[in-house]
Amino acid sequence: MVNTDKSLIDAHCGGDRTAFGELVRRYGDSVLGYLMRMTGNREQAEDLFQETFKRVHEKAHTFRGLGFKNWLFRIATNAAIDGLRRQKRLRIVSLNQSAGCCDGDCDELGAVTAADCCDASDEAIRAEQKEQVRQAVDELPARQRATLVLAYYQQLSYSEVAEVMGCSTGTVKVQMSRALRSLARRLPDTSGGAQ
Amino acid sequence: MKRHLTEQELIEYQFKLASDAQMGEIGGHLGECGQCRGELERLARRFAALDLLREEIKASEDLISQVVEQAGQPRRVRLPAYRKIPAWAGAAAAVLVVGLLLMVSNLPKRGAHEEPAAKGPGIEERWPAVKTTLVAGGAGEFRAGTAGALAEQDIAEQAPFAPASAIELVTLPRRDNVQLTIYNSADLTLVRERRNLTLKRGWNWLQFMWANTLIDPTSLSLEPLEKGDEIDIQQLVFPARLRELGRWLIRSEVSGQVPFEITYFTSGLSWRAFYMGTLGRDEKTMQMKGYVRVGNNSGEDYEDAQTRLIVGQVHLLDQIAELAGRQYAYGRPGAEVVMLEEALDAGGIHLANGLFATGVVELKQAVELLDRKEIRKEGLSEYFLYTIEGTETIPHQWGKRLLSFEAEDIKVDSLYKYDEERWGDQTIRFVKFANDKDHNLGETPIPDGDVRIYSQADDIGHLSYIGGTSVKYIPVSEEVELDLGPARLVKVEPILMSFKTDNYMFDTKKEIAGWDETRSWDMKLTNTWELPVEIEITRGFGTAYWMLKTDDKDVIYEKHDATHARFELKLGPRTKRTLGYTVTTYHGVREEAMSK
Repeated sequence: MVNTDKSLIDAHCGGDRTAFGELVRRYGDSVLGYLMRMTGNREQAEDLFQETFKRVHEKAHTFRGLGFKNWLFRIATNAAIDGLRRQKRLRIVSLNQSAGCCDGDCDELGAVTAADCCDASDEAIRAEQKEQVRQAVDELPARQRATLVLAYYQQLSYSEVAEVMGCSTGTVKVQMSRALRSLARRLPDTSGGAQ
Repeated sequence: MKRHLTEQELIEYQFKLASDAQMGEIGGHLGECGQCRGELERLARRFAALDLLREEIKASEDLISQVVEQAGQPRRVRLPAYRKIPAWAGAAAAVLVVGLLLMVSNLPKRGAHEEPAAKGPGIEERWPAVKTTLVAGGAGEFRAGTAGALAEQDIAEQAPFAPASAIELVTLPRRDNVQLTIYNSADLTLVRERRNLTLKRGWNWLQFMWANTLIDPTSLSLEPLEKGDEIDIQQLVFPARLRELGRWLIRSEVSGQVPFEITYFTSGLSWRAFYMGTLGRDEKTMQMKGYVRVGNNSGEDYEDAQTRLIVGQVHLLDQIAELAGRQYAYGRPGAEVVMLEEALDAGGIHLANGLFATGVVELKQAVELLDRKEIRKEGLSEYFLYTIEGTETIPHQWGKRLLSFEAEDIKVDSLYKYDEERWGDQTIRFVKFANDKDHNLGETPIPDGDVRIYSQADDIGHLSYIGGTSVKYIPVSEEVELDLGPARLVKVEPILMSFKTDNYMFDTKKEIAGWDETRSWDMKLTNTWELPVEIEITRGFGTAYWMLKTDDKDVIYEKHDATHARFELKLGPRTKRTLGYTVTTYHGVREEAMSK
């Protein structure tokens, strides 16, 4: 029998450490992917990942049973926006920018070198385009970025995004529209390049 | 809908952001309008690029385990990377970020029992509660420990692996003191800055980032200013694929604040000298003020920096700006480090391959020869080092003008020169003086720079601009002539009065083999100024075989070089005079006759 999110949270609040682990495993990839796209930086995303689940752990007793995923993403969004705000103030640059690598594994120290993983020219073009997309997304204001990532990449409905962001659906659509108009000017044209 | 759809409408249609009514209306238009359909397809292709970021991202088992374990900790603490940061750090435009990365390496592996520990500065508020510092290693290796327990434990012999992620910024210390030594000839500045870093007993990582600056990463050097016997700086690591950062591994026997000096080279800081000279009413003396303008385009703000300026040529193997701009610190095999090899060598400061630390040490030693406390201008072999009094704040993209020296009553000679080959028919004015004690100068060489000369137009101090020029480096005791441009009040006008050829010689074929040319010149000189002037006239003859005669006994001339004669004479105030001379030049075989 598959445990529901609510039952896992209840178990966690009741002292069951395995329940929390199951929740982290259930949503870990999704939350880390969201934070990676929000920050563009693996280690910052991992830090925010820890922060997110720390808050989940601490606030678990306040969860009221409906839409754990949205609740979790709301916490992750708040953590990400806080983190991005701090990063802006500190002007900390990414420690771990991929040197044109074609997959996320390149973030790990000791992993294969850039040359190893990006031999083919189309891979190099793709990596460059990916970096351009990354930059275009990074240049969006934090709330527009969060809206875009939640709606486009996490494939939440606009009403779910509104719940996560704590605003109306109309506001979400306005944010999304603004984000997309900005991106339309900044995104690379990938139609002629390697896909 | 007859008009074409806007980009916003197309976006709202594609991403279903429009209301149902609008969606229907837009859809209807698209069904009829090929142009708008084309535009929608173009937008769709553009947004397809977003899918490049759609790759699957997996949370590693280590990360999940870490989170789960930390959740099991009993009390609430903060995450490492987001500790309180001083407000100034956010406001500062500085891009340079120094963080102390504390890695406790001699502690049990993950999963082992962790002892609770007493609070200590720096890491006590991190999450989880027992000051566990986690730093990810290469293959998912984690090391954790407690700071309190560490005080009683031995420090692990083996150095920890340089982490690529899970970075912990424990401190973000402000510079206590910074000193800039700027070479104007080579786009090179030595920066020495002092920071108080908070160390823990054990292995410490200190991270140095130089993003958006022009710092040469190969030149980074770190030295403890105190407790040197208890602190060992083991290595500087430039982790793979992490751009624009380096990490020092420090083994410390002590816990607490320790002052450190960080030195490095940067480019983008420059300085230039310029001078203002004011001639007295009689134009026999001059007051001179020297200034330096320091400019900062290095990408870094330097607050309260003690600034030193080096005069002299420096030869660099690599341009610092290029070193700073490379993707990784050591990108070019065989020349990855720059060293100051002959700092005190009379031939110049040569930077060549070798160990960088040696270079910095040598330059530091050279610089330390000088006293910091006053305005000092002292020789460093063939170099000269100017120290600006006090400290200056030089933010990025700012320039600052500082007074370098001021000298009164410099004796000057006004000199007018006429040389048709160099300046055409214009008479050029010069001001001549020497950089020596007789001229109230001579304490230091005068660096390259622009000079502007003014004269006092009246007795109440109004100035008129006379002219300006650039001067090259003027060593002590060297004479200098400042070119002030064409003179308006003194004129020289050469007039050819007669020309004849003579003494033709013929070869065996009856063809001309040699001849003489004789020209008579009148040089009309005019001084409409109220002061007497000296005039130097240079005449060229186009051949080394010439003979000059003059009937004017007051005229003094000398052979300036093989093909030129130079006249020197004085002209009284508001006078005219004519200087006459005859020059004969010898050509062909007549040259031999002249040389006999």
